[in-house]
Formats: sequence, structure tokens, C-alpha cells
Amino acid sequence: MQKVPFVTSYLTEHFADDAYATLAGYQGRGGYQAAKKALTEMTAQAVVELMKTAGLQGRGGAGFGTGMKWSFMPKGEENPKYLVCNADESEPGSFKDRLLMERAPHQMLEGILIGAKATGASKTFVYIRGEYAAAADVLERAIAECRDAGILGANCLGSGFAHDVVLTRGAGAYICGEETGLLESLEGKKGQPRKKPPFPAQFGAFGMPTTVNNVETFSHAPHIVKNGAAWFRGFGTEKSPGTTIFGVSGLVQRPGLYELPLGTRLDEIVFEHAGGPLPGRKVKGVIPGGMSMPILPVSQLDVPMANEFLRERKTMLGTGGVMVLDDTTCMVRVGVVITYFFRDESCGQCTQCREGTGWLHKIMQRIERGAGAREDLDILLDIASKMEGQTICAFADAAAWPVQGLLRHFREDFEAHIAHGKCPFPQSFEL
Amino acid sequence: MPKITVDEIEYEVAEGRTILQALDDLGVLMNGVDVPHYCWHPKLSIDGSCRLCQVEVEGIPKLQIACNTPIADGMKVHTQSERVKNAREGVMELLLVNHPLDCPICDQAGECKLQDYAFEYGAQHSRSQEPRRAAKKRVDLGPTIVFDQERCILCRRCVRFCREVPGTGELAVFARGDHSVIETFPEMPLDNDYSMNVADICPVGALTTKDFRFKIRVWFLEDVPGVCTGCSNGCNVHLGVANNRVYRYTPRRNDAVNQTWLCDEGRLSYRRINADDRIDHAAVRNGDGNLDAAPYETALAAAAARIRSVIETKGGGAVGMLVSPHATNEDLGIARRFLAALGSTQAGFALLRGRKDELLIKEDKAANAAGARALDFGDAAPLLERVRGGAVEALIVMGQDVLAPAYPGALEALACADTLVLLDTHRSHLESLAHVVLPARVAAEKHGTLTNHAGLAQTVEPAVEPAFEARSEGEALWRLGQLLDLAGFSDPYEARTGA
Amino acid sequence: MISDETRARIDTEIAKYPKKRGALLPALHHVQQQTGWIAPETARELAAIFELHPIEVMEVVTFYNMFYDRPQGRHHVYVCTNLPCSLRGSRNLLRELEQHLGIEAGETTEDGRVTLGHEECLGACAWAPVLRVGETYHENLDADAAKRIVDGLK
Repeated sequence: MQKVPFVTSYLTEHFADDAYATLAGYQGRGGYQAAKKALTEMTAQAVVELMKTAGLQGRGGAGFGTGMKWSFMPKGEENPKYLVCNADESEPGSFKDRLLMERAPHQMLEGILIGAKATGASKTFVYIRGEYAAAADVLERAIAECRDAGILGANCLGSGFAHDVVLTRGAGAYICGEETGLLESLEGKKGQPRKKPPFPAQFGAFGMPTTVNNVETFSHAPHIVKNGAAWFRGFGTEKSPGTTIFGVSGLVQRPGLYELPLGTRLDEIVFEHAGGPLPGRKVKGVIPGGMSMPILPVSQLDVPMANEFLRERKTMLGTGGVMVLDDTTCMVRVGVVITYFFRDESCGQCTQCREGTGWLHKIMQRIERGAGAREDLDILLDIASKMEGQTICAFADAAAWPVQGLLRHFREDFEAHIAHGKCPFPQSFEL
Repeated sequence: MPKITVDEIEYEVAEGRTILQALDDLGVLMNGVDVPHYCWHPKLSIDGSCRLCQVEVEGIPKLQIACNTPIADGMKVHTQSERVKNAREGVMELLLVNHPLDCPICDQAGECKLQDYAFEYGAQHSRSQEPRRAAKKRVDLGPTIVFDQERCILCRRCVRFCREVPGTGELAVFARGDHSVIETFPEMPLDNDYSMNVADICPVGALTTKDFRFKIRVWFLEDVPGVCTGCSNGCNVHLGVANNRVYRYTPRRNDAVNQTWLCDEGRLSYRRINADDRIDHAAVRNGDGNLDAAPYETALAAAAARIRSVIETKGGGAVGMLVSPHATNEDLGIARRFLAALGSTQAGFALLRGRKDELLIKEDKAANAAGARALDFGDAAPLLERVRGGAVEALIVMGQDVLAPAYPGALEALACADTLVLLDTHRSHLESLAHVVLPARVAAEKHGTLTNHAGLAQTVEPAVEPAFEARSEGEALWRLGQLLDLAGFSDPYEARTGA
Repeated sequence: MISDETRARIDTEIAKYPKKRGALLPALHHVQQQTGWIAPETARELAAIFELHPIEVMEVVTFYNMFYDRPQGRHHVYVCTNLPCSLRGSRNLLRELEQHLGIEAGETTEDGRVTLGHEECLGACAWAPVLRVGETYHENLDADAAKRIVDGLK
């Protein structure tokens, strides 16, 4: 079954065309013209400036300015420099990167070439999660096509610039989506994030200067080079330009992909585009950006989907994974599912994360099965606050935020479990 | 040199150091400036995972781990602010969520950093009701170490130690999250020359030594500073003493000699102090050819009589001495004076040598071979020849290194001496040749200095008293000198200076 | 024993990375395709190839969900039990499969045919509930469809 987005824009408009995943099909629609321009007509500095002016933010969850990130790479030639494409998409509720790779691999590769020019990287490692076997096959074919056609190799597109792409598969660990956890895994070790300093631009893959970017981030680049910064800024908001691909899932009529400008309101996405709740149900809450992002109650869905607005509601865009929960959903059970995930995926290095994720889950389970007490809610929040901002990487924060969000907006579900000693939502999904 | 301010006090520190390293360099870490920590160790790579060493650095919004934050000129650090105390309390609470309440049966109690820091920095009550993680207990990790997975706080010091110090890398953390456990590879146990150091560096009772297991509670032990005498490295130790008995050696930090380490063989050499084969009484060979126990003074008098007779018939030059490379410089100094007073040049020392390594283990298997050499004592072989040839009729033998493979035929050579006086600490075949046997003291039982391979003289103080009458070689020789009316020996013996 | 074919694949991987060890995860994937799991003997062989201590191979195996330190069934059937799929009933589906196969999640059928398990988010949330059989995704499932898929596995 083809996974065609319900709403498309420049990233996904050709998803329906199977040929778009082939070199011939991609070039037939103007593909690699932008890369050729970047490689043969622009300086590295110019490409960086273009990205800065366009204001492209990373689409992997952190939202860091791409042009700024590319500018951190050292300028000298003594050491090889690497790009890494983070294709480890594992944030629950996110599936846009997978479809981008399966339906438009060349778009991503073209973006990689542009990033390579900007940073002086000689090689890109595409680190794809181990479970994405189908996408990996598509990418291998696309890379081979590029090598055969001289788009990758010693003389990319006749520019004299050399670049190659290596596809490497992960093996099932969410933490390998964290920049330095990925680098450790790429180097053949456990994916345990690194202490910073040093930062990847100084000491990255195999000790060399490295920049890590998300699949979707790379995918925007050819369009920006082709059409210019002003065109890109025509989409989205002033602080968050461009489109992004929202992945809508959960208890909603039309789960799927929606490529929309950043700043589109969340209620528009849920009710208009995705058709609203299932028949006879009401929306209760929506997780806006993948499971790490704090939930919003139905009364607060009038928020534009861009970080500058979402932050005011104590949540973030993340990966744009929009998960819809309805009035049958027990939020304590949601808490159990979420805390289980973070407990299972913690790499285990930092005390707060290793022990905190475990403790949060155990308490959540106990409340869910009816053995909770009022103090437990205070303890949950206290543990969460002791996990935030104090660890090697942001995983502990990502584990703490959802708990804070659930208690901020759905405390009554927890209190009902505690008061009645069981789940007050007979129709809720089962654990 | 850059200056940093910690808790309102300014310090001058070296470039390129982290906050914890700088505090350690200054000698104030946990000794005036409290920055509790688990995973950091001054001699291992930086880990950064325990998160206990978080401090406040002015100008940086988040708390920073002191172990990985480079100092900068003008940096202002706060280690006792409310935020920092809160963070420490948080880490302690989280560590105790899964930690088993084993204190009553755990060897670490009394020197446990979890106990200490929980008391100092933790909350008064536990809030967790959840069942604790169950994992392996009493794991036979290798020949020297017992491991308790449940007690482990995953500071990973042991993993880093094995990879970085002996380089054997037997330990690793398996799995992830709160299922993480330390493991060994099947059929590759923790087995290297320095394995027991993991028990020192383990902040809790997860790694403990089989040797010390359940022997005594550490709060009964007095830690006496001393030196290991297993080889010429002279590793600094603490002798753990109770009831006039040494229960263990633990390493004492000395960055110039042994950093914070001790080899297993040296660590276990404390057993020699209370060994069953100590020579525990003086003896004199009687007319039937048997060794009879005798009071020390009686044996000394017998030795003096025999030596006097040689001096009178053949002269002082026919009296020789095989000194011990295990004796102190003060003992050896007296030996020199004794020989000088006799007018004898017949002296040397035997030395057991063995393997060495890149780390601490040295070839010379005695603590003071360098001291002996510095006092111009040469190798034993020429002296043994002269004994064999009859030029040396009376020989005072200290120690049993002469039985080493490097001296083939030593026993036959020694048998040629008319008089053999043995001053030694432990029993050996030499007794079968001795006419007089005098119990000597080991380093842990005397004052003195020992010079290590690098020429560093290190002091030892008596940690225990032998249960029997024994004298240091110096004291015995001094008394012998008095009994022989040797010049310069009339004053009373003074233990500290050996004068 | 790592076969010559697998070894050749490993060598191809090693050539792609600036440091040998970068090829360890790809090598583990190739070896598992041949052997199904990583036994201590296999870890020793890999350690020799990559000039590592065998325990460094084993710690990597135990860290990742897709590497196994014990024998597995011929087919892995993993049902996603993360949030979007749970909302759409995937946990009930898993329970029905448990009953259907007569094993619990985490176990293998006696004939060695199927290992059943939980999976974390597979990136197919809009088409929940989702399970994967080895590398193949099966989406938009109900219990009957899931049982049919499982029954079709040899």
C-alpha cells in the first residue's frame, strides 16, 4: 500500500510516483540541479549563509538552526570531516523519516551533498535504525545509482568535489537517535551518549569533526538552494519557516502524513485535516511532537505548531508526531506505556536517568493497578524535577517531561485511580 | 597560573585541569572542599555518569559536573548552594531506590561511600515503596574477588580500571537502563596481577576481596601507614591493625611511587607477618647436634662465644656477614659498623629476583636492596666462595635469599663455615646449618627506612609487636657488638636511629 | 563458526569505515543472519577479527534489541506495544497471539518456529496496530489477520 500523505507540499508532492525513488525519476523532475549549483557555483560559505538566512531549523526534534550547525565545522583541511544523517527515527509517533527515505531517497541524498559542500565533509554516514529494512534497501539502491552516475564519488556531478555515502544499520536502541549516542554506535560500541565537551564538530565520528542532521532537515536543503531563502520563508512563521511533515496517529479518523507549514494550528491538523475523533468520541488530549513532548488537553489545541508558541504551553514541536487521545483513554495507562518505554530505552549511564526512569515506571504501574496514594503524585513530580537538566544527554528530560505534562493536565485521572483503586475508564485501551 | 574561586576562597590552579582535578591537586578535595563523587577517580579516565559531583558555576545556568568541567581563569564555583545540595540529595535518593539493605552483612560497612554520602548528603527517609531490582549475589568473579550485582551503583570504576591499568579488560556493563549489570565473559574471570584494586575503588560493597571477607569490621581496624616489602617498588600501604594483628594491606596513595595501586601479591604479603612459619624462638645447637630452644640472651651469648673464638684464633677478618635486603637502612648501617669494628671486609647480600612488569612489580623481591647497595654491600656470590674456601670461618646470615636459584651450591658453601649465626624472620633450610638461630623482626614490627628502586627512602613504623621475643637485625647486632666488646657499641641501642 | 561467506561480507563492511570497529554492528547483523544468535564462541571469533576483548563484543550484543545472546526461533514476531499502537488495541492483539501460540511474549514455541515479543515504535503509527516478522512490516492488523500471518510461517 502506498503511503501517500493526505496533504503534500514540496517535500512530499511526488510521493505517489514510484519512479521518484529512482534516479531517473528524480532527475526527470529536476533532481540534483540544486546540488550541482551548490557544488559548482557556490562557495561553502555561501551555502552556509543561505541556510542561515533561510532559517531552516533541524527537524529531528531539537530544532537547532541548520546553517548555524554547519558553520561550527572547522575550516581547515588537515582532518577528514564527516556528515552523519540521523535516520534512527525511533520517537514514538514519528514515521515521516521512514517515508521520506522510502519514497524520496534522492531528495535526502541531494540535501546531503549540499551539506557536504557547506561543511567540507568528505563522507556521510547514514545511520538508519535496524528495523527500517525496507527503507535501507531503497537507500542502498539509490546510493548505488548515484555512484554509477558520478553523483557520488571522486568527482560529484563533475564539480571536482569528492563525497561518498555509507549506509550503516543500527540494531534497536532509541538512544542511538541521540547525536553522540549515534556516534558511539556508528563506531561499533554501545550507544551511550558522550559527555560534552567535546562537541561533535570538534570530536565526532571516529574522532573527526562531524555534523549530525536529520533526514528531513537534509531533504529541505535542495529546495532552499533551488528556490532561495525568501521562497522558503514564504512558508511557516518568522521564527519557524518552512514546512514539516506531521505524522498523525492515535484515535483519529485519518491517521497519516500531513506536510503543512510550521505554525499551522494543532486543532486544524487534528480536526480539519485528520478528520477529528472517531465516531461517538471526543478528543481528550493530544501529544504534539512525539512521545517525549508534554501532552496538551483538548482546551489548548489552538496553538500554532511552532516552537515559539508551543514553548508557552510548556511543550515543543519535537518530531511533529501528533498522537490523538480521546475520552475513552485513561491517562494513567498512557503514563504506564510512556514510562515503560523510557525505562527500557535508557542507556543506563546517569544515575538520575537509570534509576529515575525505573522508579517512575514502577510508581505509575502501582497507581494504575489501584495501589497508589496521593503522595505518589508529588513523588512522581519530584523525581521528574530531579531528572531534568542534570544528565549527560536530554533523554532524562525527555523521560521527565511527559510525566509532568500528564500530571499538569490530567491529574484527575490519577486521582480517580487512587481514590477508586482501579481504572475509571472501562473503555480505555488495555495494557 | 589561572585562579579560580571555590566557595569564596581563591586558589591558584594549573592549566588544563578540571575542577575536581584542580581540587585534588591542591589537596583540598573532601578535605576542606566537599565535592562528593563516585565515578571519578584521580587515576582513571573521566566517566561523568554518577552525576554526584555537580556544582554551581557562576555564569552557567545548569549545574556542571566538576569532574568534566575545565577550569578557567576567574571561574567562580559554589559547592554548598541549595541547588547543589538538592541535586546531591536527588542522586543519593535515586541510588538507594534499588540498593539492597545489606549493610549488616556487607564487608564495606564502615568504609562505604554510599553509607557516608547518604548520611552526609542524603534525605533522612526513603520514599520508595517499590520492590528492588533482583540480581546476582555472591558471584565468584575470579580468584580474588566476590561480586554482588545488586549492590553495584554502576559507577564503572572497575570496568575502567581493568581496561586502563592492567589492560586486561575483563569487566563490562551488559544490557542497558536499570537492567544494566557488570559481567565477565564466560570462562574469562577477573584474573590479573592487580585484580584486588577493584575492591578498593568500588565505592560500595559490590566488589570485595575473598581474602578479607567477613574477617573483621573495619571500624575495629587502625590504619597504620607503612610500606609493602614484597619488592623494591616500595608501594605505600595502610596496615589494617586490630588486636596486635595485621588483617590486611590497602594501598596508600603516593603519586610518585604507586599512585593508588597495589599488586595482589604485595597486598597479600601481609600474611607473612603472622605466618605459621615465623621463627618464634631463639635456639642453640647442642652437643648432640640438635637445635634447643633458648632464651634470646642465652642464644646471643652462645653466638658471641663462638665468634669471639674465631676472632681470637683467626682475627676479625675471618668473620663475615650476609646482610638482608629486607632489613632497614638503620639495621644495615649497624651491620656496616659491626664489620668495620671487626676490621672485616667479608660482606655481601643475596637477593631473590623475579619477574617485573610495566606497572609496579619490580625484579628485586626485597624492599631495601637499593639501601644495601648504597651501603656498598655487593653480591653474595664472592662471599660464598670465600666461605667455601675457608677464609671466612664465622658467618652471620640475615634472611634466606641465599636459597634463591641464583645461588646454586649455597648450602654446601655455607656448610663450610665453622660458625653460622642465623638472624631471620621465617623458617628455612638454613636452620639445619645454623649453630645459633635468632628471631628477627619484619618491617611491620620496627622503626626504620627502606630505600626503593628509585632511591626513595621511605619510613616504616611498628604496627604490631611480635608475640614472641624478636629483635631487629640492628638491635641483635648491637647487643652482639656489646658482648664482643667491639668499639663504638657501648651506648644503649636506640630503635629510631639504630645508633 | 563464521562461514567464509559471512566473513567475506564482514570484510566488505570493514573497508567502509575509517576504523575497523565501525563495522562491528554490520558484522553482527551478517553473523546473525547465518547463526541466529551470538554464542560466546562466535563472540570470540568476532573479537579476534576486530582485535577486541570478547567481552567488548558481548556488551554490544546485550545492549541492542536486535542482537541475541541466546538461541531464537526461526521467525521473530514482534508486536508494537508503544502508545499509538496500544491505543488501537495492539496489546490485546499480542495477548491473542500469546494464546494462539501457547507461549508468552519473550518466549519461543517448542518447535522453534516462532519467537513472540514486544516491539517498540516501528515508525508506522498511522497504520496501527503493527507487527513485524523479521524485516517485514504488517500493518492495519486485527487479531485474525495476525493469526493468519503467524500460521503462515514455516
